[in-house]
Amino acid sequence: MGGLFSYFRGLLGAREMRILILGLDGAGKTTILYKLQVGEVVTTIPTIGFNVEQVTYKNLKFQVWDLGGQTSIRPYWRCYYGNTDAIIYVVDSADRDRIGISKDELVHMLREEELANAILVVLANKQDMAGCLTVAEVHQALGLDALRDRTFQIFKTSAVRGEGLDQAMDWLSSALQARK
Amino acid sequence: MYTLLHGFYKYLVQKDEYCVLILGLDNAGKTTYLEATKTKFTKKYKAMNPNRITTTVGLNIGKIDVDGVRLSFWDLGGQVELQSLWDKTNDALAHGSLHLHLPDSLTKPIARPDYSDHQTSGSPDYRGPTYFAECHAVIYIVDSSDRERISESKETFDRMIASEQLSGVPLLVLANKQDIPDCMGVHTVKPIFNQNAHLIGARDIMLMATSALTGDGVDEGIRWLVDCIKRNSSERLPRNHDENL
Repeated sequence: MGGLFSYFRGLLGAREMRILILGLDGAGKTTILYKLQVGEVVTTIPTIGFNVEQVTYKNLKFQVWDLGGQTSIRPYWRCYYGNTDAIIYVVDSADRDRIGISKDELVHMLREEELANAILVVLANKQDMAGCLTVAEVHQALGLDALRDRTFQIFKTSAVRGEGLDQAMDWLSSALQARK
Repeated sequence: MYTLLHGFYKYLVQKDEYCVLILGLDNAGKTTYLEATKTKFTKKYKAMNPNRITTTVGLNIGKIDVDGVRLSFWDLGGQVELQSLWDKTNDALAHGSLHLHLPDSLTKPIARPDYSDHQTSGSPDYRGPTYFAECHAVIYIVDSSDRERISESKETFDRMIASEQLSGVPLLVLANKQDIPDCMGVHTVKPIFNQNAHLIGARDIMLMATSALTGDGVDEGIRWLVDCIKRNSSERLPRNHDENL
């Protein structure tokens, strides 16, 4: 019954896309969420639990979930995987020490059956910091060349300066529309 | 019981799956070509607006069914710094392990970023199969309107075909952007890419004119490629269906 209902809702074309923002703690997920929603840089504290907001971008509605990224709460990410249309994976490009952990979390996550059809956007965030990883280095360090069956794209962003987020959302919305 | 029937159904309708790499310099039109191909071979496919296609830094995929087989496309980014990811030469170079097996042409060119400082933080033991080793065919796209970069495109092409991992793999070279009035025709592009016959060797190769924007030449190219892939399928077996990441 629910399936029938969502089928008709799909015909009306108003379905909200469900997007998860994931990544290690301190990568900038919450800053990105609120930059997208209110267009401002807000002061954040480490997220315990989640923030969820409705974001409208060029007439498309997204329900964006920002989940806490600390080690102890990462296991709970999977509770939110169902019905996800896209994942925004945020990487702190200046944190060379933990890029390996970030990779492991990503690889682990992409193995989940429930996310098999989700589009992946990787944000190489904090590009405003000196000595940060380039896009190609992030690509390499996350082992993304092992991906075969998933559309993904990397963007360099600086959430505090608001750079790169527009391109990323632009790409994501056309990729989501093309997939339907 | 469901699993049994489902398995049986899958066995009946399952098609051999082959993977096709789409390569070329940045802004050659790889992603637009992929969209044009999907539009041509998928009923009711709503293509992305070409104006909204941005520079790929990542992977675009597409699956089409044609002439009884399934083709999976991998469209990779073409910027110089990303080219090393096509066959993961970089990774191998950083560890020095594959150094001796690589032809000179692959190790010399282009200043490549040094990964040695942070590479250890990943899992250095992991070295999965490369796109080159796994693909069943390559489509190489050339921007026929860009005379300045044609020699760069040719050098990239030569480095690619020199890879042993690609030996014997059918190759379709497309002189794209034929819709632009002042572009180079097939007769100009062909001699440029035909210079290194010894690297091309015994594989199937074809150069065609296309316009990804209008869709001209897309159909012919794909059908030619499918024939070659089928002929070559005893060398490169179809991809295993249950392997997914």
